Amino acid sequence: MSPATTSTQPVNVKLLLIGNSSVGKSSLLLRFSDEQWLPEDESSATIGVDFRVHKMDVKGKKVKLSIWDTAGQERFRTITSSYYRGAQGIILVYDVANRESFEALPRWYSELETYVSSSVVKILVGNKVDKEFSRQVPTAEAEKFAARMSSLFVETSAKTSVGVKEAFTEVVEQIMDTPELWENTSARGQGTAHGNGGVPGGVQVVGLMDEQKPGEGCAC
Amino acid sequence: MDEEYDVIVLGTGLTECILSGLLSVEGKKVLHMDRNDYYGGESASLNLTQLYRKFRPDQAPPADLGRDRDYAVDLVPKFIIASGELTKILVHTDVTRYLEFKQIAGSYVYREGRISKVPSTEMEAVRSPLMGLFEKRRAKKFFEFLQGWKDEDPTTHQGINLDEDSMKTVYEKFGLEAGTQDFIGHAMALYLDDDYITKPARPSYDRIVLYTSSMARYGKSPYIYPLYGLGELPQSFARLSAIYGGTYMLDKKIDAIVTDSDGKFVGVTSGGETVKAKQVIGDPSYFGANGGDGGKVRVVEEGKVVRAICFLKHPIPGTDDSDSCQIIIPQNQVNRRHDIYIAMVSSTHNVCAKGVYVAIVSTVVETDRPEQEIAAGLSLLGPIYDKFVDITPLYTPTSSGQADNIFITRSYDATSHFETVVEDVQDVWKRVVGSDLVLKKREVEVQN
Repeated sequence: MSPATTSTQPVNVKLLLIGNSSVGKSSLLLRFSDEQWLPEDESSATIGVDFRVHKMDVKGKKVKLSIWDTAGQERFRTITSSYYRGAQGIILVYDVANRESFEALPRWYSELETYVSSSVVKILVGNKVDKEFSRQVPTAEAEKFAARMSSLFVETSAKTSVGVKEAFTEVVEQIMDTPELWENTSARGQGTAHGNGGVPGGVQVVGLMDEQKPGEGCAC
Repeated sequence: MDEEYDVIVLGTGLTECILSGLLSVEGKKVLHMDRNDYYGGESASLNLTQLYRKFRPDQAPPADLGRDRDYAVDLVPKFIIASGELTKILVHTDVTRYLEFKQIAGSYVYREGRISKVPSTEMEAVRSPLMGLFEKRRAKKFFEFLQGWKDEDPTTHQGINLDEDSMKTVYEKFGLEAGTQDFIGHAMALYLDDDYITKPARPSYDRIVLYTSSMARYGKSPYIYPLYGLGELPQSFARLSAIYGGTYMLDKKIDAIVTDSDGKFVGVTSGGETVKAKQVIGDPSYFGANGGDGGKVRVVEEGKVVRAICFLKHPIPGTDDSDSCQIIIPQNQVNRRHDIYIAMVSSTHNVCAKGVYVAIVSTVVETDRPEQEIAAGLSLLGPIYDKFVDITPLYTPTSSGQADNIFITRSYDATSHFETVVEDVQDVWKRVVGSDLVLKKREVEVQN
């Protein structure tokens, strides 16, 4: 492969959002990828968001991020094990104004232990700092917890967009500093895979009648 | 749980998950529950802990099998036919984006004591050791006939009417030997018994064409398989349903199916609460298959399947060290009425630790000693490290469900693929919705 093609080939990175219901996972995703914010009465529980694709440059490399949302399956703790496949980064979200969402984190971490390898980059995100007046989780406490769980830490507000870009950028930067996570992405990484034959010996599954047209491709 | 739903779905097997995915996309409000704390029901893939809990509750998995999380052992041995109906649904719903597939490396058939690759084209037939020289010529002519067939062009019919003439007539026209008929009917058309021979040839023709076109897609076998096991399939359709608003609850014991005085469905009681819905869909185990549901007979047993899940520490002998394969033992070869199937996958498919091979030997039960019936299959495997034998009744609903709004799916049969599962999905869909299932292409999200 010539150097020219290598440099234009983006690195595929798969990020997952997890955490309790109503902590603002989908809002963070919407703020980051679309620069948008939906007020509470319009943004009921997650419907219809599968994942978003976002391109960025990190440390001189082109990165194609796909960020996956829970599809609301966190509500009764029925997230499928297949949701976790191939993730390189995990964004664990809690609501700084909701103690319970913070207390639930150890259970989310134990789920990660079951499904993802320990080298996967984790970031703990305390969302809704715009509700400072009703804060229930002190910054210092969460910071200490994150350090204990070998996770990055940031506080954000999807509403005012404070910290949102930083949260995503920090995860991606650490992933790029961990080449084992993305070199040979074909071995595991989702971007090349997911029905598109990215695994060695994998097969591309497309319909007989509608073989994919050039350039159409999968959205991931 | 005081909301009312359009449909409650019980059991997260593949049939139920495809249905709840499609119903959610259609705009129905779906509540999907399972008594287990994992997805997949009878079509789940289990890790070692779950596997031992199911088959040997008083024994821990041996340490030398490796890490628990490396395992996803299928309970039902089936592969996906590359050009089949399940592939169509996967593509049309874009559920392929949640999955990665690999080919099954080889398709074999047993004849006179040894196994050989199934020929699927006239080229392969000519090279196959399954046939003698003259038989090869006859088989070549047969395959050329099939490949050249055009409904609208009578000159390609060679005097055969596929809709009237039996498969027997077709075999006789080309003078094919009984052994050749065995591998065509069983290893290519994938019939489990010989009943097809006296019936019109059209369905056999369709099945052989499906086999050869699937074979042509990826080359090594007509089958593909999802990494991390078949259990990924129901989970992917569950996600599809959730994206479209479906609500999922696992680990929910179902206490009762509530009906009104006319016997019509009202709701489902779980944990002392009753959730109401217009309709309920579920697998047979939720409707009295195990004797429950207030004595009301909603399902009947149609037969039994015996399945032996075998851990091997080596590939199956005679398969060129394939990392995966299917072997079919046609019934005539072992004096049975139904074929014996072997389906094998390995660590290449992320379903077990390195160096372990998982083979499932299965057949339709014909006697009261089911385990002995699969002996011919087990003997092809070489030394078996460990074996879990399961005898599963096959249930079918006693009514269409249209009178009481209780729609029951069928058990997973002995076929080696998912075509009958999709037929069941289409059938239940029609009963529930009232019209044929038409697959629509799911809108692809905007790409930046």
